[in-house]
Amino acid sequence: MNRYLQLVLKNSLRNRRRSMLTIASMAVSICLIGVLLALSRALFYGGDTTPGQAKRLIVHHKIALTQDLPVAYEQTIKKIPGVQAVTRLRWFGGTYRDARDPKNRFAQFAIEPQVLFDVHPEFQIPETEKQAFNSQKTACVASRPLAEKLGLKLGERITLVGGMSPTTLALTLVGVFDAPTDNSSVLYFNWDYLRDSLPAGDSSRDMVQQFYVEAENKDAVGGIAQQIDDVFADSPCPTKSEPEQAFMLSFVSFLGNLKLFLAAICGAVTFTMLLISTNTLSMSVRERTREVGILKTLGFSSGEILSMVTGEATLIAFAGGLLGCGLATGLCAGIASAMRSAPGFVSVVRGLGFSPLVAALTLSIALVVGLVSSVVPALQAARTSIVDTLQYNG
Amino acid sequence: MDIVIETKKLSKEYVRDENRVTALKNVDFRVPRGDFLALMGPSGSGKSTLLHLIAAMDRPSSGEVLVLGQELRSLRSRELARWRNAHIGFIFQSFNLIPVLTALENVMLPLKLTALSVKQQSEHATTALQLVELGDRLHHFPRQLSGGQEQRVAIARAIVTDPDFILADEPTGNLDAASANEVLTLLAALNEEHGKTVVMVTHDLHAAHFASTIRHLEKGALLPQGQVPQDWVAAAMTVPVHSRFVGGSEMTAR
Amino acid sequence: MKIPLAYNLRNLAVRKTTTLMTALGIALSVAILAASLGLVNGLKTVFTGTAHPLQLLVLRKGANSELGSTVPTDAFAILRAKSGAARDSAGEPLASQELVNVANLPSVDNPKGMNITVRGLSATGIEMRSVRLVAGRWFQTGQREVMVGQAVAKRYPSARIGNRIRFGKGDWEIVGVMDGGQSVLTSEIWGNFDQISADYNRQDSSSSVLLRATDPVALDALKHSIEDDRRLNAFAITEKDYYDSQTSSGAPLEFLGIFVAVIMAIGSGFATTNTMYAAVTRRGKEIGTLRILGFSEGSILLSFLAESVLLSALAGILGCLLAMPLNLVTTGIGSMTSFSEIAFRFRIGLTALLSGFAFAIVLGALGGILPARAAARKEILSALRES
Repeated sequence: MNRYLQLVLKNSLRNRRRSMLTIASMAVSICLIGVLLALSRALFYGGDTTPGQAKRLIVHHKIALTQDLPVAYEQTIKKIPGVQAVTRLRWFGGTYRDARDPKNRFAQFAIEPQVLFDVHPEFQIPETEKQAFNSQKTACVASRPLAEKLGLKLGERITLVGGMSPTTLALTLVGVFDAPTDNSSVLYFNWDYLRDSLPAGDSSRDMVQQFYVEAENKDAVGGIAQQIDDVFADSPCPTKSEPEQAFMLSFVSFLGNLKLFLAAICGAVTFTMLLISTNTLSMSVRERTREVGILKTLGFSSGEILSMVTGEATLIAFAGGLLGCGLATGLCAGIASAMRSAPGFVSVVRGLGFSPLVAALTLSIALVVGLVSSVVPALQAARTSIVDTLQYNG
Repeated sequence: MDIVIETKKLSKEYVRDENRVTALKNVDFRVPRGDFLALMGPSGSGKSTLLHLIAAMDRPSSGEVLVLGQELRSLRSRELARWRNAHIGFIFQSFNLIPVLTALENVMLPLKLTALSVKQQSEHATTALQLVELGDRLHHFPRQLSGGQEQRVAIARAIVTDPDFILADEPTGNLDAASANEVLTLLAALNEEHGKTVVMVTHDLHAAHFASTIRHLEKGALLPQGQVPQDWVAAAMTVPVHSRFVGGSEMTAR
Repeated sequence: MKIPLAYNLRNLAVRKTTTLMTALGIALSVAILAASLGLVNGLKTVFTGTAHPLQLLVLRKGANSELGSTVPTDAFAILRAKSGAARDSAGEPLASQELVNVANLPSVDNPKGMNITVRGLSATGIEMRSVRLVAGRWFQTGQREVMVGQAVAKRYPSARIGNRIRFGKGDWEIVGVMDGGQSVLTSEIWGNFDQISADYNRQDSSSSVLLRATDPVALDALKHSIEDDRRLNAFAITEKDYYDSQTSSGAPLEFLGIFVAVIMAIGSGFATTNTMYAAVTRRGKEIGTLRILGFSEGSILLSFLAESVLLSALAGILGCLLAMPLNLVTTGIGSMTSFSEIAFRFRIGLTALLSGFAFAIVLGALGGILPARAAARKEILSALRES
């Protein structure tokens, strides 16, 4: 075996430029396939979840996210075994200053201050600020990216003019929290304050859009979701509860028939890679027809020649595959960090990682391409008769 | 006398694998217009090198090459190319036709660098091919022609620009005897009937006798007119000597 | 170019398999690029097709979509009365108050359910849009009846005439199918304004008001009049601007498509370079011969570069041909403004095709420049000695 390896290696290095170009070409294709596979994994199966995220589920109206749920549901949800904390959540589409400036547009949610940080254990905030938020009704907290974007300071007055709700809120910023894996700009304030600000006859006074639930452990999440939905199934506002990740993933369908799109592209890229690899190998074999003849006169059998050609192809494919996987790892990390400030819909991409599973799959694709691409050229080489090759004049 | 080619102390050295090789040593000679010169010598004698230097395909290490009074050294690469196109027709041992072009297109190639229109190019090329008696093979590809026919196409290509002289490097090396004779007869005709100066490199004495002058090269040095190489003299002692021919076709014994 | 192009074309033909395989790689990159451009173009077409040049959408100040906006009913009376509003055949102002929400139905692509825009509007609202009835009949006032756009009927199996769908407080019967052409309206479900607002407990407000102006000057004046009016807490945006802003929904897919196309192109570029280097190596003797005949280094370089560009140009055409059948494909994408799916057809037009072709040519040039240089720089004598 060893002498074969030597010969195979020597052959690959013979036309260094061509081998390098082929490896580069394959590496690029493999990198692309790797990234697409990792993307598929993140989009359709959810990427790597943070521990806090894994225990969280979201309850919303069964029919549409835009329909409201009564706040009274919260009591019922709290009583379900396995539930550690629940907060109500109501989206408030208020205007901050001049809404035409894009940086003034950010998500605002009315929640229950005492429970917010229990439901989001990954939010970090100084204890004093947390206490201020709990005690002052008109207090609000902002995420670090929002505070930096708008240059907010503690104690500052934030006025939100209601869009959907006919009211104006005068809030005071008492805290800024850090979410290590989440770069979105968001403001949280007290739901009670919002409720009290709405006129008495307003039908949406006691309504919320979602409940965020933190379970005690992540295995209980599925069961809890089912239980919640069962309780409210026959009420006028039936619910749909799902783990936060599944909720995020449901937005992926927004991007259109992405599965088909990605599958088609992966197919096209693999096919192209196969073409290029076969092509290069054929060129290489054709140029060395003379040598094949000489090898045969020296006693190498057709089978041995076949395995040498296949060996060369596999070696190049493997090298290209490794390089491609390396590139893909870097690219995935880059995309993940770039996507950290993306809005909710594509936020699953934050969890984009080039996992060992994806790497293994990608590498095996490379090897398969190497093997398949060598079939035709290898057969050609093995079949050439000695006489033909020695007379071959290029 | 009109001297077409003249070399003065022409030398060419090159380095191969750390060995300095002298291909040509102080070659002085002249080729008058209308001459048919055969340069003979064994492999390594420098005859091809001399031809390449005359054709400006290579640059000398020292000495001068004057062609039609023009010192080749002073010409830059681009000018050399133009100059070659205008003044020289080259014939190779392995024909060197472009495989994907037809006979006509091959012969038209040198004309692409002139100011002639495509129609005129085609006419000139057709005439040249008719001259070499391939007027019925204009649209054949080289693979459809025999070796001798290919070389004749090459000759047509060489003369289509009406060059001042023709250089031929072992023109019959890849041909069988019959084709070789056709080609040599053609060259001789071009020389005698059309006044073309021809310089032919060959190791085949039979081919050399189609020429009017024979010079020998031995280890990079040009032997004086009439002098033959040492090993020929030795060989002449043991085997019947070659006799002189004028346009004959008998084989010589060596 | 002194060396005839026939030389390059025929050389490409001689090595058919190699040429074809390299070309196919480039063709696929071009196809993906054209498809991505066609996707965005198709989306743009649907959005621009929806807007009427003289119509204004009135929303609550600060809202950036109909879904997130409320306009009180008394505001409607004020808006209707504004000067500059166009009138219908009966002399009534062309003003429509509308309620927009979202329904969720399982679709062919998304069995788990996908959002569709539900719009409650009056007969005036229907008149202000260019839609036509293609099956069944229009909904009646006072009835829980709805119309579905043709795209909805096609893509959602449960949305057939006679079926019932569920949103708001209960079931609604589908009585007709409408066609809005290439516009978002074809992806909507329409019902009577009063009926639908009651279902969503919105008796005293609508999501938006649609107004038509008499001419562009009046349009501008109307817009300012609405925004300056203190009785209304509203702002007005032309339908055109409103829908134009939604084209960003296609941005992620467009980005992905172009990203993939560029990376594939890089891979194909390497392959092209490889192929051309092989050609240069194989044709050493020819190159030497051409040089002897008098062709300059520059013309050799141009010739080989031309060969590479020819190859990629052919590939570009092939890629465009591969992508064009997509023009027959209808697909859907979610708009983040309306929170629902909009159906559209790929529209690979002249711009996309030309871009793809240009892309291919650039690729051919970049991939072929190094081998072409190598060919030009070959030493004549060593080139001639190559077999």
